[in-house]
Amino acid sequence: MINLKNILFVGVSALLLTSCIGDDIVEDTIEPEVRITNPIDTLERNTSYTFSALAFDDAGMQIDPNQVRWKSLDTSLIEIDSLSGEAFAKKLGTTAIEADITYGNVLYQDADIVHVGNTTVVQTVARTGSLRTTSSYTLRGDFTLIEENDALQLRLASNYAASSSLPGLYVYLTNNPNTVVNALEVGKAISFSGEHVYNLPAGTSINDYQYVLYFCKPFNVKVGDGEFDN
Amino acid sequence: MENLTIKMRSQSLPFFLVLIGSLLFTQTVQAGGGWTAGKGNGYYKLSQWWIVADQHFTDAGLIDPNVTSGIFNTSLYAEYGVTDRFTGVVYFPFFSRATMNNQISETTGNIISQGDAINSIGDTDIGLKYGILKNKKVALSATLKLGLPIGNASGGRDGNLQTGDGEFNQILQLDAGVPLSLGKIPAYFNTYVGMNNRSEGFSDEFRFGLEAGLGLSKGKLWLIGRIDGVESLKNGSLGTDINSTSVFANNSEFTSASVEGAYYLTKKLGVSASFATAFRGEIIFAAPSYSLGIFLDIK
Repeated sequence: MINLKNILFVGVSALLLTSCIGDDIVEDTIEPEVRITNPIDTLERNTSYTFSALAFDDAGMQIDPNQVRWKSLDTSLIEIDSLSGEAFAKKLGTTAIEADITYGNVLYQDADIVHVGNTTVVQTVARTGSLRTTSSYTLRGDFTLIEENDALQLRLASNYAASSSLPGLYVYLTNNPNTVVNALEVGKAISFSGEHVYNLPAGTSINDYQYVLYFCKPFNVKVGDGEFDN
Repeated sequence: MENLTIKMRSQSLPFFLVLIGSLLFTQTVQAGGGWTAGKGNGYYKLSQWWIVADQHFTDAGLIDPNVTSGIFNTSLYAEYGVTDRFTGVVYFPFFSRATMNNQISETTGNIISQGDAINSIGDTDIGLKYGILKNKKVALSATLKLGLPIGNASGGRDGNLQTGDGEFNQILQLDAGVPLSLGKIPAYFNTYVGMNNRSEGFSDEFRFGLEAGLGLSKGKLWLIGRIDGVESLKNGSLGTDINSTSVFANNSEFTSASVEGAYYLTKKLGVSASFATAFRGEIIFAAPSYSLGIFLDIK
């Protein structure tokens, strides 16, 4: 005869073992990077300009920007303070300004080609990229991040398409496309095809993030992403 | 043959009733298949049903990962023959728990998203079955079931955990059951179709199923196999407009296969265990579900 107490014990044990909150490991490692956030095209001769940069570790967490070191590849054209990033244009020509950071004994760099000319020219304030799906859900289309009237907009192009099946599809800007941690939540997806625009909150700069991320919040599922090409 | 069939009918009835949790996700009450309980007869079951999933079916029917989530229902099921033709059915998950795991950064080891859990009662079904036809060859019945949204449709820190979908189901179901025998072994076959009219922007559903049972050990041990399906009519809101997930998402579909064993410890008291898994689905967990139960069969 089967013992009813044993059956109950097995049942309750099975419930207790499976109903606890466990841990899921998220593969969120990325390549560290340093990014010049205010590149310029041309620096007027005999004037100064202070470059700035953001640096991120292999989890996409920001590294203290004071660890960034600056370098001019031709100091006869432009001199730059290695700590502050303050540059001075000395004579006409073209060179590169580098931002360096060492993380895990590996050197990571970003560079800005700078001309020395008769007037300072800031680079075009638009960044572009293309969405790709990283799941089985539809996600595609081109996007542009652009400053207009001192406001930042994320514009999705006419070739944009996304699945409308998921509950709670959200758009983020992030420096780690594998997680929404430290990401800027742009908002719930407002369209699933064609052109549309998201207005970004004040204080967001065009070079603060490197990826557009689509994420289903309720399922905690990444749908896809797109890296800025420039 | 006639006596055997009648005996099989009598003994197989409870196993039609032991179906809470047998549908992979919805735990729809399928009281008695085509048969009604009979006046004064009752069937009562205390059971535990659970599913833990780290993946789900996408809208394309493919399988994608998700944060590991679980639903655990402790329920009471009761069926009572009000008359020979009318049978009342209640499914009441009096304790329902939904969980979501912590998410840990592989890079840093830190928690990047805290897990969460809620405990509440779950969505509850009440139903009334009417026996249209019952003879030695076939039993036909129609059931009206009402799914009461008394579970938590938006619980936890981010409102993402659920023990119910927040909408009112109205299900009309037709069942047909056929008693069979394989030599001296009693058996049965049942099939059903149903429509689920749903509220709150949820799409309506077409439901169907097949079931076959075999009574071994002189009817003390019953082995039951089932195919169940839910097809969304996709006539409601977009999935993205409703913040439901796991087994409660809008426009979800599945076809599942399940097996169940039920054993009579005494003439009235028995235990059961079941396992179910979906072989196709859309916007729903892709993981096996399990149930354990103790039933009381009074006739």
